[in-house]
Amino acid sequence: MPQAPMPELTSSVKLKYVKLGYQYLVNHFLSFLLIPIMAIGAVELLRMGPEEILNVWNSLEFDLVQVLCTSFFVIFISTVYFMSKPRTIYLVDYSCYKPPVTCRVPFATFMEHSRLILKDKPKSVEFQMRILERSGLGEETSLPPAIHYIPPTPTMDAARSEAQLVIFTAMDDLFKKTGLKPKDVDILIVNCSLFSPTPSLSAMVINKYKLRSNIKSVNLSGMGCSAGLISVDLARDLLQVHPNSNAIIVSTEIITPNYYQGNERAMLLPNCLFRMGAAAILMSNRRSDRWRAKYKLSHLVRTHRGADDKSFYCVYEQEDKEGHVGINLSKDLMAIAGEALKANITTIGPLVLPASEQLLFLLSLIGRKIFNPKLKPYIPDFKLAFEHFCIHAGGRAVIDELQKNLQLSGEHVEASRMTLHRFGNTSSSSLWYELSYIESKGRMRRGDRVWQIAFGSGFKCNSAVWKCNRTIKTPKDGPWSDCIDRYPVFIPEVVKL
Amino acid sequence: MGIAQENRVEVKSMLTAVSSKPSRSARVHPFTALDNAMSPHTLHVIVYYPRSPFGSFDLDSVRISLSELLSMYPPVVGRVAKTPDGILEVKCNDAGLRTLKAKVCVGIDEWLRSADGHDESDLTAWGDMPEDPSTWAPFRLQINEFQGGGVAIGLSCPHRQADATTLTVLLKSWTEAQRRRCIVHPPSFSPLPSILTDDTDAVKPNSATISKPISTKTATATFRFSSSSFKKYIEEDGIFPKASPFDVFAALFWTRVALVKRKSHDRVCMCVDFRRLLPNPLPYGFFGNALNFSSLEMTNVADQGIVHVARLINDHVTNLTVEKIRSDLNRVGEQELMYGGDLTIVNMEHMIVEGDPMMYEAVFEDGVRPVHVSYRIGNVGGEGVIMVMPSPEKGFGRVVSVTLPEEEVSKLLVDQEILRFEPKIILSGVK
Repeated sequence: MPQAPMPELTSSVKLKYVKLGYQYLVNHFLSFLLIPIMAIGAVELLRMGPEEILNVWNSLEFDLVQVLCTSFFVIFISTVYFMSKPRTIYLVDYSCYKPPVTCRVPFATFMEHSRLILKDKPKSVEFQMRILERSGLGEETSLPPAIHYIPPTPTMDAARSEAQLVIFTAMDDLFKKTGLKPKDVDILIVNCSLFSPTPSLSAMVINKYKLRSNIKSVNLSGMGCSAGLISVDLARDLLQVHPNSNAIIVSTEIITPNYYQGNERAMLLPNCLFRMGAAAILMSNRRSDRWRAKYKLSHLVRTHRGADDKSFYCVYEQEDKEGHVGINLSKDLMAIAGEALKANITTIGPLVLPASEQLLFLLSLIGRKIFNPKLKPYIPDFKLAFEHFCIHAGGRAVIDELQKNLQLSGEHVEASRMTLHRFGNTSSSSLWYELSYIESKGRMRRGDRVWQIAFGSGFKCNSAVWKCNRTIKTPKDGPWSDCIDRYPVFIPEVVKL
Repeated sequence: MGIAQENRVEVKSMLTAVSSKPSRSARVHPFTALDNAMSPHTLHVIVYYPRSPFGSFDLDSVRISLSELLSMYPPVVGRVAKTPDGILEVKCNDAGLRTLKAKVCVGIDEWLRSADGHDESDLTAWGDMPEDPSTWAPFRLQINEFQGGGVAIGLSCPHRQADATTLTVLLKSWTEAQRRRCIVHPPSFSPLPSILTDDTDAVKPNSATISKPISTKTATATFRFSSSSFKKYIEEDGIFPKASPFDVFAALFWTRVALVKRKSHDRVCMCVDFRRLLPNPLPYGFFGNALNFSSLEMTNVADQGIVHVARLINDHVTNLTVEKIRSDLNRVGEQELMYGGDLTIVNMEHMIVEGDPMMYEAVFEDGVRPVHVSYRIGNVGGEGVIMVMPSPEKGFGRVVSVTLPEEEVSKLLVDQEILRFEPKIILSGVK
């Protein structure tokens, strides 16, 4: 049957060229207009010759006052423009925490502990096993030391020592990488959703590193897995107000106090997915950092669906019948995530999509509203707007859903899937592990645009767009340095346990 | 020793230590016929250090080196499973090594002086394999911290899965990994050489894996003989030129125990490690059981002189050929209990490599050598076990531990022939 596929192939190739031609035309429309005009102008000038040009110039009769006023006006307009332009926010560097090998959780160990602790509830054990089999996690994810005990010992001391371990290790690494001295930190933002002691984690950091007394420190808690991007947004706003400053953001989730000790099934799910991790990020608005910064922040869009009751209750922390506190995940989590994503895309689309896509979307919108409501809505092709995607590794279902909705290829979601496999769901820091994956694979080039999307309880969908400032060499150390050669791995649909 | 005292060892916590790298293949480690014959027994090694290498425990570097070492030993972190045919094997599924932390309410010197066999057994985990071993950790590590410093590291496992040399090499390799040295004896999981297994039947399903507990109340005592006491004996009593300290001390204890037991026929079971006795020697890292159990008889041994008995023992051990080892291997299924069915004498001379006793070379920090290493066998038969172990001081000294019924041990503790050698008696419970 070689004849039948051929016409389809040639027609799809033809369609591809048509699409390409259309995109070039629309995206570079202005150039297409300007170039002929400039060409005609140049030809005219050349035709006229130098004496005629001088004659035309003299006939305009400029006098000094007019010239001065015009130049002052131009200077005034440009000054107003440059002063009111928002400062460029740079991401100088970041560092992700790599847990020690003693914290590793193989599947067999997790299931054995589960059986020993929940020995009267075989159904709950079965449930956990089925979740783990389909989770997309690998055998090298880590849980904090307190959770390795039989039974786990989630004391406040243990939670604090986990916080100290992950945060201080990540920050030490960040200081070493960037050469920053602790006393030069101007803004500190720490986000950790479920552990909020007094004094706060940001106070703990200030105490450990002896940061300045006039530091602007903020501690964000309770904001879920998307708190990382909320911290970036806050840092951006603070850096607009404070000139010549830098900001350190620490994103983490402390697992120790939140390990669910009951046996309600919907609340056992986070135990199977959440793992230990942290990231420390250095951002700056200093002009001197523009050479060494890795990324520039282009856009940050926050969408909150809390006004809708269903979205508000879909990730809910509550006590079960026996008084154990856990996080209840509702069954329509995926649908709600899809809606939140749509809301976010509607805002970010016009900011990032090329004119060709926006025009198509507009035409399809007009078509649906005026001509035929049954027309399929046009989903803009975000692959034209971004080179890399970092989708929060909340779980396999989230990544699958987004891959389907945004029509992404396997390579686009590779960073997210592999981060879920190697590190599990590290909550707000997972976006940074994914970015580190892309860099470790040597795929990050100057000018590449990265889209980070995070979902969180509330229900929120936040996204950030970064532009790569300089081609990034494969890092020699980092969370992926010892295992990047093994990735990507094939993750089966179900791992037989 | 008869005074009942509360447990001086309190287990505080339990966790599972994992290997650092996942074992990628779904490997299975089978048991040999010899392994299955060892099944009623459990094996326990306890190493005493005057200073503990552990600090906060959760974040210690010693834990990291343990994890790295466990990656080299998949059967240690695996779980026992039954095949559909009822044959036991180890599934290397990375489940982990169970690790317990305990506190001892006395100091290490006080312990060595006053603890008895029952107390010492609290320093390692005991317990037989349950019916469903899928969540039961066969290898268990117990870290016991003494008052005022000092630690006893106890490692236990079913004797089916490893012998004393395997556990000693494992602990020594852990210390080598901790000190970033090259591991001298990496593990080897190849099966027993065919020269030994040609005649053996296929592994039969285990019929009686869980045996009845031994009813007689046993006690343990440990005698430390120095190099000088051996030399003194040679000068005073004379001995044949090729006599090794093992021959002399084994003969000494055999004769004195036979006297105490008042038996007419005198047969012992000699347990010798055959790793280095084969024409193609097995490496020390050979994982599993490589023990030869052979019978030795002498009439009226209680009345014989030590010289005579020592010569017999020497001849017996030197004449262990491959054929003898193979024929003994073929007969392993016949006895129910390998240790203690007859009085068993355990030979550990092979652990002295180039004059250095291997177990005392397991050093975590420079200058902190073990002060004592005990080996204990669980479910020993009524006749008892005599273990002749290397001494921490290199040379001709030996440490002999005896596990016998209580009255026999108390008689041995005051035996004049033994006391003539001026042993230092520890871990016997004498106040």
